[in-house]
This record gives sequence, C-alpha cells and structure tokens, in this order.
Amino acid sequence: MTRRRDRGWVLGVTVTILYLFLLAPIVIVILSAFNAGEYLRFPPQGFSLRWFVRFTESPSFVRAFEFSLRLAVYVTLASTVLGTMGALFIVRHARRVRDALRLLLLAPLQFPAILTGIALLIFFYATGIGTRGMRPLFIGHTLVTIPYVFLTVSTVLVGFDRSLEEAARSLGAGPFRTFWRVTLPIIKGGIISGALFAFITSFDQFPISLLLISVGNTTLPIALFDYLRFSFEPTAAAVSTLSVLLSVGIVLLIQRLVGLESIYWGGPR
Amino acid sequence: MAGLDATVAVPTPPARGPRFAWVVFLIVPIIVFLAVFFLIPYANMVYMSFLVKPAEGAYLKQFTLENYGRTLGDPFYWRILRNTFWYSLLTTAITLVLGYPLAYHIARAPKRWRGWLLVLLISPLLVSVIVRSFGWMILLGRVGLINQLVKSYGGPELHLMYNAFGIIVGLVHVYLPFMALSIAGALQTISPDIERAARSLGASPWRAFWRVTWRLSLPGVFAGTLLVFVLAVSSYVIPILLGANNVLVMPMVIVQMLLDAFNWPLGSALAMVLFGFTVLLLWLYVKIMNRAMRWTAR
Repeated sequence: MTRRRDRGWVLGVTVTILYLFLLAPIVIVILSAFNAGEYLRFPPQGFSLRWFVRFTESPSFVRAFEFSLRLAVYVTLASTVLGTMGALFIVRHARRVRDALRLLLLAPLQFPAILTGIALLIFFYATGIGTRGMRPLFIGHTLVTIPYVFLTVSTVLVGFDRSLEEAARSLGAGPFRTFWRVTLPIIKGGIISGALFAFITSFDQFPISLLLISVGNTTLPIALFDYLRFSFEPTAAAVSTLSVLLSVGIVLLIQRLVGLESIYWGGPR
Repeated sequence: MAGLDATVAVPTPPARGPRFAWVVFLIVPIIVFLAVFFLIPYANMVYMSFLVKPAEGAYLKQFTLENYGRTLGDPFYWRILRNTFWYSLLTTAITLVLGYPLAYHIARAPKRWRGWLLVLLISPLLVSVIVRSFGWMILLGRVGLINQLVKSYGGPELHLMYNAFGIIVGLVHVYLPFMALSIAGALQTISPDIERAARSLGASPWRAFWRVTWRLSLPGVFAGTLLVFVLAVSSYVIPILLGANNVLVMPMVIVQMLLDAFNWPLGSALAMVLFGFTVLLLWLYVKIMNRAMRWTAR
C-alpha cells in the first residue's frame, strides 16, 4: 500500500513541476508588467501601473489593439455562422460525403498556418484582390477559425435528442420556428464556445497576419512582434498582460458554458 | 488545436431522409468559401512553384523546374531542412516524455478536478505565442532572471537564448499541451481496472504499466507525436524570437524569400519541398508505427 502511495507522490511532484513550466513564462510577463523598474529583477522593485499608462499613450499599440478587436469580432461572426451551418449539415444530413466534408472543414487546421498565409498572399496579388485594408486578414482569419466552431457545434449536435424537434414539429411549428425555439437554445453553449475559440484564435493569430497585413493596419500580435525584435521595454509586457487576461477570461467562460471536457473528449459534462 | 479532431468523433445519427432539399444551402456557403480561399490558393501556390522568376516583376507564366533544381541542388537548403527536422524531432521526443505523465495524471484525476486541470493545460494554448516567447525572453535572456539568479551565486553567464536551446525550450512549451491532450484522450478510454487486474495477477507496477496501459495508449501517443511534429516543422515565431537569426529553419527562409526577396516562384518551391519532405517522413513514421503496434498487440 505504501508503495502505491509513493508512486502517486512522485507523479504529483512531476506534474506540478510541469504545470509550473507551462505557466512560468505567462506569469513572468504579468509580473514584469506590474513591476516598477525598467527591467524585471529579483526581488521586484515595487508595484506600478506605469507601463499600462505608457501603453495607453502609445498610439501604435492602441491602434493595433483596436484593430485586432474589430477584426476578431467580424471574423467571429462570419466563422460562427458558416461553421454552425456546416456542422448542422454534416452531422445531420450528409451521409455518404460526411467524411470528405469533415476533412475539408478541418483542413485549414491541419495545414500549417504559415503556408496558408503564403498561399493567400500570392492568390490575393494574382487575382488583384490585393492586401489592402482588413479584407484579406478577415478572409485568412475566418479560414482558420471555422474548424473550431465546426468542432464545438458538432460535439453538442451529436448528443442532441432529436425527438424534441419532432415534438415541436408535430405540435405544428414550422422548420424555422423549430430551429429558433428548440434547436438553437439547446446547442447555444456549443455555438458560444466555438465563437469564443474563434475570437481568441483570431485575436492571437500570427503567421497569417504577418503575411497579409498592409501598411497602417497592424494587428496586436504583429505590433508586439515588431517591438520585441528590437527592445524589451515593459510596455510590451503590459500589452501582453491585457491579451492574457482576455484569453483566461475566455477559457473560464467556455468552461462555465459547456465544460472543456465535453469539447475535448466528447463525453457529457 | 488540431488535436481536437483526433478525439471528437461524429457518429452516424439514425438514417433519416432529408425531406427538404434546402438543407443543402447550409453547406454551400462554406464549401464555396473554402474552395475559393483555401483550395484554389494552395493549387495556385503549387502552380507558382513551376513558374519562372524574371529579373523584373513577380513571375512569368512559363513552365520550369529550375526552382526545384535550385532548392534541391543547394547544400545550404539541405542544411536548413536537416535543422528544421532535427529540432522538430527533438521537440516531439521531449514533449512525449513530459506529456505522458501530465496526460496520465489528468486522465486518472477525480472527475471534479479534471475540468480545472484541463483549464490549466489549455489556458497556455490560448495565450498568444508571442506573449509566451516574450516570457521566455525575460527568463532566458543574457540579463534575464535565470542568469541573474546564477550570477548572484557566482556562476558564469549562461547562453540560454538566441541559440538552438532557446528554440527547443520555446517549442516544447508551446506543443506540450497538444501532446498531453492527445495522450489523455486515449488514456481516458482505458479503464483503471485493467491495470489493477494486471497488478492483482502479480505484475509489478512497471510491468503492468508497460504491458497494459502503455500499449493501450499507443493510438494517443501516435496522434500526439504526429501532431507535434507537423506543428513544430512549420513553426516560425519561436525560432525567430528565441533563436534570432543565429539558427535558421525552413519557415524563416521561406518567408524571407517571399516578403524580402519577393521571389514567389522560389519561395513556393521551398514551401513545397518542406511540405513534401514532411509528408515523406510522416509516411515512414506511420509505416513503422503500424508495424510496432501490430507487434505490441501480440
């Protein structure tokens, strides 16, 4: 018996160290954002919000932040609608072509984003769509966020009890009314989770943005990247902290709404 | 998060004839979107890799194999290819060793903890790669926290960043959750009773693990290693931020060729070569793994 407990103890310590490893760089960034000194040292040189103030005074960062938020909202709307429709069709109506369609919808996730970005860049130039403004970024981000919505929505659709819809139909509701009043409220959790995944994926997207940004339209990750190649100033840490908070908030929201477990392992909550 | 699809199965619902043909309109928009902005651009890139790059302008519509000749005939590119695959292989091996205990722990954790452990595992995934690289830069830099600590004890200055070591640390950090999630998905379906049965029949803990749990978890290991390898081969941000330009990998060279040298045909050919070799290696790996899995099934 003691031997078994010993083994559990070793596993516990190993796993704790690994979680610390996973969280370390993120925690360090947050610490340096609140650090008063120019450079993070141990012990820290006191608490300060000056780097956040510096962020609000930096027009390039603020503009990039706004641009990324706006882009992420449009992308989320598009990929949520397209992905949900696709999931509804594939789970319920596609029969022989189901596997092929599934493969197609997940393909943007399987192909390296940097290659997709290159392919799009060449394509946009060749067709004259160009890489001006938000449109190319919008298309590229929508492409890579669709699979997330598709996956989360199909997960809830698979566990869906269709007799509820049949009941509504037999009571005289039309197909649209049935969808609106019965189906949608039940799969809402999956759709919202998918949308949140899409939002954060777009907000943090890097490789595609790198290739498709145009002058004057920089996303936050690109602005951070350009900055980090030349300096280490804690303003970047403040910006990073804001984006980390956004991510963590979204993870917790998804966990509350549907539970990450059901998305990852397809089981009930 | 390509790991998702490995674990989410879409089972067949009871057959029900589509009474309304209009359901097709659910899928048409997304197919058109993916065809126009995914399939055609990729096909176009393949086409581009066979075109001529003139001195002036982007490309000439003239068939040539010269881009491939230049890529495969240059030892410089071979060296970079070897680097890229070597780092990816190393990353895959390390994430496997570290990811397995994480996966085992999460799959065997009490149900009410499991959700929160997943939050811990997935949160880093949703934090931008740039932010995470920044964290490593603060930790590993020349005057970073680790070096400050080492120096305060009188140690020498360690070179932890802007070299292969920094890249590997960054890559392992980014891909560890993918590996752990893939394996956990497989472990989750194995009842702990099976291992217990082996134990009660007299197997030592290690033997029970090796002969039972490990073998049953091989599909998850397989999925995880494939996924991490593919992702690591195409990673760009980490090599550039944590390796600076001291270490070149293929995606960096490809992006430079496209954005800085403005040579689309050669850049496309380089991308195709990377893609081709990756597929070749994966094919070999799948063959070997299939044989190994058949062997362990005995």
